[in-house]
Amino acid sequence: MSKNEVESTYSKRASRWKLIIFLLIIALIITVIVSLNVGYYGISFEDILKILGKQIPFLNSFVDYTPKLPGDPNVLLLVRLPRIIAGVLVGAALAASGVLFQGIFRNPMADPFVIGVSSGASVGAALATLFAAGFVFFGIGAVQIAAFVSALITIFFVYNISRVGSRVPVMTLLLSGLAVTFFSSAIVTLLQFISGKELFSIVAWLAGGFSNITWLAIWAITPFILIGIIAAYFYARDLNLLALGEDTAQNLGVDIERVKKILLFLGSMVTAAAVSVSGLIGFVGLIIPHMTRLVIGPDHRILLPTSTIIGAIFLVVCDDVARLMTGSIMGALQLPVGVITAISGAPFFVYLLRRKKTSYAL
Amino acid sequence: MVLLSVDGVECRYGSVKVLEDVSLSVKEGDFVGILGPNGSGKTTLLKSISRTLKPHRGTIMLDKADIYTLKGIDVAKKMAVVPQDGSVGFSFAALDVVLMGRNPHLSRFQMENEKDMAIARKAMTLTNTWYLAQRPINELSGGERQRVIIARALAQEPKILLLDEPITHLDIINQLELMDLVKGLCVREGLIVLAVFHDLNLAARYCTSAIMLKNGKIFSAGDIAEVLTSENIKSVFNVDAIVKKHLVTNSVFVIPLSPQKSPPSRKCSIHLICGAGTGTTLMKILLDEGYSVTAGVLNVLDTDFETAQFLKIPVTTEAPFSPITEKTHKANLAMISDASTVVLTSVPFGYGNLQNLEAALAALERGIPTFVIEEVPIEKRDFTRGKAKALLTELKSKGAEFVKDQNELLSMLNVSVEKLKIAKEERDRFLAHLKPEEIPKETKIRGKGEKS
Repeated sequence: MSKNEVESTYSKRASRWKLIIFLLIIALIITVIVSLNVGYYGISFEDILKILGKQIPFLNSFVDYTPKLPGDPNVLLLVRLPRIIAGVLVGAALAASGVLFQGIFRNPMADPFVIGVSSGASVGAALATLFAAGFVFFGIGAVQIAAFVSALITIFFVYNISRVGSRVPVMTLLLSGLAVTFFSSAIVTLLQFISGKELFSIVAWLAGGFSNITWLAIWAITPFILIGIIAAYFYARDLNLLALGEDTAQNLGVDIERVKKILLFLGSMVTAAAVSVSGLIGFVGLIIPHMTRLVIGPDHRILLPTSTIIGAIFLVVCDDVARLMTGSIMGALQLPVGVITAISGAPFFVYLLRRKKTSYAL
Repeated sequence: MVLLSVDGVECRYGSVKVLEDVSLSVKEGDFVGILGPNGSGKTTLLKSISRTLKPHRGTIMLDKADIYTLKGIDVAKKMAVVPQDGSVGFSFAALDVVLMGRNPHLSRFQMENEKDMAIARKAMTLTNTWYLAQRPINELSGGERQRVIIARALAQEPKILLLDEPITHLDIINQLELMDLVKGLCVREGLIVLAVFHDLNLAARYCTSAIMLKNGKIFSAGDIAEVLTSENIKSVFNVDAIVKKHLVTNSVFVIPLSPQKSPPSRKCSIHLICGAGTGTTLMKILLDEGYSVTAGVLNVLDTDFETAQFLKIPVTTEAPFSPITEKTHKANLAMISDASTVVLTSVPFGYGNLQNLEAALAALERGIPTFVIEEVPIEKRDFTRGKAKALLTELKSKGAEFVKDQNELLSMLNVSVEKLKIAKEERDRFLAHLKPEEIPKETKIRGKGEKS
């Protein structure tokens, strides 16, 4: 490779990255529109575009639409669209925080649940299901609120257990996360044991899914997820430097303890917000960053945005599959989307691993 | 003028003090070696200077500002660190890693521009890694990776470079090239280098000054030649070493000797007749084998004399460049009579030391087993017009044991000197029964069992 070739590759990097992100956003929009068409209840593409057009101010006067069936707009706007948007947000959140956690821990095996966010959320969700299922605060269900709050409390605990003076060694963080996860899992098991007729609700929440999503629930989590991901992007280059080791990153001017603290907080917040509406959807946060890294490289300045968008697309598609199967195969029973993510993603991941023949030294 | 001063630094891990009252001051162009055995606090010192481990007491000033009050990024603009372990978490390309060295000079959202690229390329060209630019860092060999890491440090354009055993993974040519590179920056651009070395010779060759740490305290500091003395090496590393000035590199060099074994384990004592360096290795080997060793006559300043001094071997000495006098010859004979074996090395003979051959002859006459090492034929080292050769022939005829080299000598000695004595007596008795003319010219009629 000659000097000029290498250098021109690098100098075109910024514009290439912008192009990749642009194309992925187009892909995401297409995925969303196609997904609106997916479901037991058939609505044509033309109608979908018209219904959407009606919702856009100024543009709506040009749209000429009369529903073929009176329920069409409601099915689309109140059932399908929120579910798809939730898929976008949750997929983006899990993939982005997966990138953050893998970067902080310098380990491709880390995921958003590694320090106990998920198990903390499930304790809150299970408790709320048993004792406060009917309560609604400002239109948001108690289960969602309890899951979010207990996830953040758990992280607060884990963080403080791991703290040594002003430092937080990642190994201690990992281990105390593990301990707290075991502890909360035991509590959830206990709650399931005494839950009686609420058992199915708890199991369904743990399996993860997007049934019964409301617009309000989405509005509640959107700021946390968007602000969290955007703020984390400020630290993309610091994440690159962290890969060199904490001491080296510090010697290169990264205030590592501060950066770690901020990124742990952002990652946990984004994850907690996602989990609070979707329940536990595994695999996305582990595999999407990993797969994206295999294809696009380890630079967090491009890895973070691409993983985020790919995570969103992936989860929306998985939910489409879940929805299709719910209608045609499973009948009225909601198929947990977490099952689909794992079943569809794992083989593809194995294929990528084999093709690149990458070995990971941990 | 960039200045780094460390003043009264104390570091602890828990309650264990690993550094105590360490002070040093470094200015532009200094190349300072940090020396000391494992666990003496070298890396800790480097960590506290690099702002990674805040000392419990004391200050580290960079250009009159305490580095712990400065921002990390401001320190990073002036100071680069090459760690012991250069492992990278994800498979970044080597060029990506080098470009990361530009981080202190970039603002948060700034992409590396062409200037950064040029700096990275220069750093990689200097460290001979540009051809690796697009290779994933995790797929490089240890040495290649280390060179990339050094390139990254150079891309930082530092005024101070801290190296923690920087070249452990490198082969010898890369070691020298990299140290030459760093030294060049030091001399030409006034770069300050602080480097932890395990190889004292490398330190001696490149450092202008050094500090030697022992148990977390400075044992010795100053000019490299003042610090690297055999006394300091003995008390800090507990290793005997010969320290000399190298004639070619004009820097001191250190030859460590293997840790000396306990006092003589064998009752047998060996007297060496040597000189001009022919006995040096033998002295050490025989001591290690547990013999007590004496030597003589040696001229003061002779290489063998210096070795003997160093190894604390008793020597009969003669003044420098002087022939052996009757008095010293007698003293030597007295020393020989206490020895159970005499070994004569392949020393060249002139009129000045011819008496050493007579001493060997005297030993033989007193019934002390005598070995002659004949690595170099006597013709080539006889500067006495045949007198030495005649004496050597006499030695041979009187039953001295001739061996072709040191190894043969050692293998014979290891058979055990006692056995050798018995074998010799047997042979003498056998020879006594023969008439003089029947004595074989080749006197080597050792029994087969004797040699093995």
